[in-house]
Amino acid sequence: MKAIRFAASFLIVAAILALYHLWIGVNNTTVALTLLLAILGISAGWGLAEAIAASVAATLGFNIFFLPPYGQLTIADPQNWVALGAFLVTAVTASQLSAHARRRAGDAEARRLEIERLYVLVQAMILSGNPRKTIREFINRVVQVFGCGAAAFYYGPADEIFRTGPESNPVTDHDLRTAAEFDDLSLDAARTTAVAPVRLGMRPLGSVGLVGRLPSEQTIRAIVNLAAITIEKARALEDASHAEAARQSEVLKSALLDSLAHDIKTPLTSIKAAVTALLGASAPADRELLTIIDEEADRLNNLAAEVVAMARIEAGKLHLEKRPVLAADLISSAMLELDAALKGRPIALRVPEGLPAAEADPEFIAQALKQVIENALKYSPEGSPITLSAGVEGERIVIGVGDRGPGIEENERARVFDKFFRGRRHRFETKGTGMGLAIAKGIVEAHGERIWVESEPGQGSVFYFSLPASKGGGA
Amino acid sequence: MSLGKVLVVDDDPQIRRVMKATLVGHNYEVIAARTGEEALEKFSVEIPSLVLLDMNMPGMGGLETCRALRSGSDIPVIIISVRNTEKDKVAALDAGADDYVTKPFGMEELLARIRAALRRSPSGPEGGPHTFTAPGLEIDFEARRVRAQGKDVRLTPKEFELLRYLVAHAGKPVPHRELLQSVWGPDYGDEPEYLRVFVNQVRKKIEADPAKPKYILTEPWIGYRFAGPG
Repeated sequence: MKAIRFAASFLIVAAILALYHLWIGVNNTTVALTLLLAILGISAGWGLAEAIAASVAATLGFNIFFLPPYGQLTIADPQNWVALGAFLVTAVTASQLSAHARRRAGDAEARRLEIERLYVLVQAMILSGNPRKTIREFINRVVQVFGCGAAAFYYGPADEIFRTGPESNPVTDHDLRTAAEFDDLSLDAARTTAVAPVRLGMRPLGSVGLVGRLPSEQTIRAIVNLAAITIEKARALEDASHAEAARQSEVLKSALLDSLAHDIKTPLTSIKAAVTALLGASAPADRELLTIIDEEADRLNNLAAEVVAMARIEAGKLHLEKRPVLAADLISSAMLELDAALKGRPIALRVPEGLPAAEADPEFIAQALKQVIENALKYSPEGSPITLSAGVEGERIVIGVGDRGPGIEENERARVFDKFFRGRRHRFETKGTGMGLAIAKGIVEAHGERIWVESEPGQGSVFYFSLPASKGGGA
Repeated sequence: MSLGKVLVVDDDPQIRRVMKATLVGHNYEVIAARTGEEALEKFSVEIPSLVLLDMNMPGMGGLETCRALRSGSDIPVIIISVRNTEKDKVAALDAGADDYVTKPFGMEELLARIRAALRRSPSGPEGGPHTFTAPGLEIDFEARRVRAQGKDVRLTPKEFELLRYLVAHAGKPVPHRELLQSVWGPDYGDEPEYLRVFVNQVRKKIEADPAKPKYILTEPWIGYRFAGPG
């Protein structure tokens, strides 16, 4: 190809020289300008080497046939050096300009191709399932669309590596893992392997490795960004469907427990009604046994209620109806419910006058408070006093329940709010479901507040929980 | 001598058995129904003096049955339910129930509530007025007739007792507890939501603008006051 172009260049120069040489009477300037045009054409069309060859040939021919002394390769007039210089400069400049333009056109064409391929890749990646499927699809498509030899992907969250095949081995697992930590893409000297981190914003997702004929750096970056977005979308989709599945299973669990609680309560209702009817007219001898049935029916009922409450809390299904409520009212309604259990216990009430109302669901909070008081009763000696207090701390109302029990050791203080947790000393002696404080915690936290305990071993414990103070001030 | 005929409506046969045994033991006549539909049928034939109505039943639920009963009768209705939230209680009272008992319940409590629901004072409370007249409102306590804005209105027995007590103490604030105990009975006092619902219902019936009551006024934190004409 090259040889033909050289030959053609010489032929063109020779043709011009021959034409003007045979056509006597033409002036030298015309010949020189015609040759110049030809060189310009050759350099623009074919390139520098052909143009220089043509320039040299044209200079020689012009010198021999048109400059005196004719027929010799000598230059008598120094002006003729100008002609030669003009040919050469024209040849070099024009060929460089046109080569540059050609390169630009070539680049633009390559860019267009890559963008077209990226677009094909984007389209191919629109429909995707979970992240793994997406990644596998992605590397196969990159190889297919960009025609590189092989691709590999390191997926950070699962610490998993995907490869199109063994041809991608030049990029090692280690390379990929390290690349995920780096900021920018790295190419090897021969431009046959590229490794780039994949990240969404600042969050690293992993890295991509490409082997073989590589697209441009910009395109590699675009591919990497596309990978990040596609995988993140797949992840979000998967998370959403997981969340939906989890929610549905919670809904199911909650509905199941609700109906279970209903099913437990129905026979309990008959038992309770029957035994209380008997109690009303019983002989003293039977009274004790009937009372036991009655109390145990109540216990089963409480158990069912606590199981349901715990399930609701865990399912995040507490429907709070908040309104301004006075701490004094919460305390008195909890005390009212615990009436029988509080018998024989001195109660110290410390509720200051003019305390602002709390913004809370009074039924749930009264239930939480009841659980905390029951806990205090359970873990303190019979007849020992219980302190119920309320106060303001900044924007919050803090309610406290204090007892004179044995106190809670430091390492157990956080865990007393765990479901089924029992202190070391009480593991085998205390009755109850072990859910009381967990329920109280769930209710308080559903209000966006917290519950905690302060304790002095040997002296007693005080359980506190906070509630937001009502914006409106009084209730 | 029977104290009254009680219609027990519950889908659980054991509960119907216990109720029947106990209530009969306490000198009530008992009719039982399995569903709301059956209750409405038996109601029109047997003409009971009180209905014990389960809230959760398949088919026509307790609330719907209660509304159906209320549309044609002012018979005392006690709703019985496993749910104990205030919302459920208010819904039951709004549907026209006179009282609400949570399962499981003690029989003594239920009997007390049945007695309270059946108790109707045939004449006004001692010293109370026999009639009350004001612009847009006439009450004849003897004939148990109320005319508001020129129209006859029908009050259920509990609504009527509530109004009667407030009118008898016109001009003075009546505390929640006192009002509950005098209308429902001595076992009551911690059911302020009962008053909220019933006062609203009475207001709807006798006030020209229930949102801006002229007669039954709320005394915040205390109770209610009837504003008499003077």
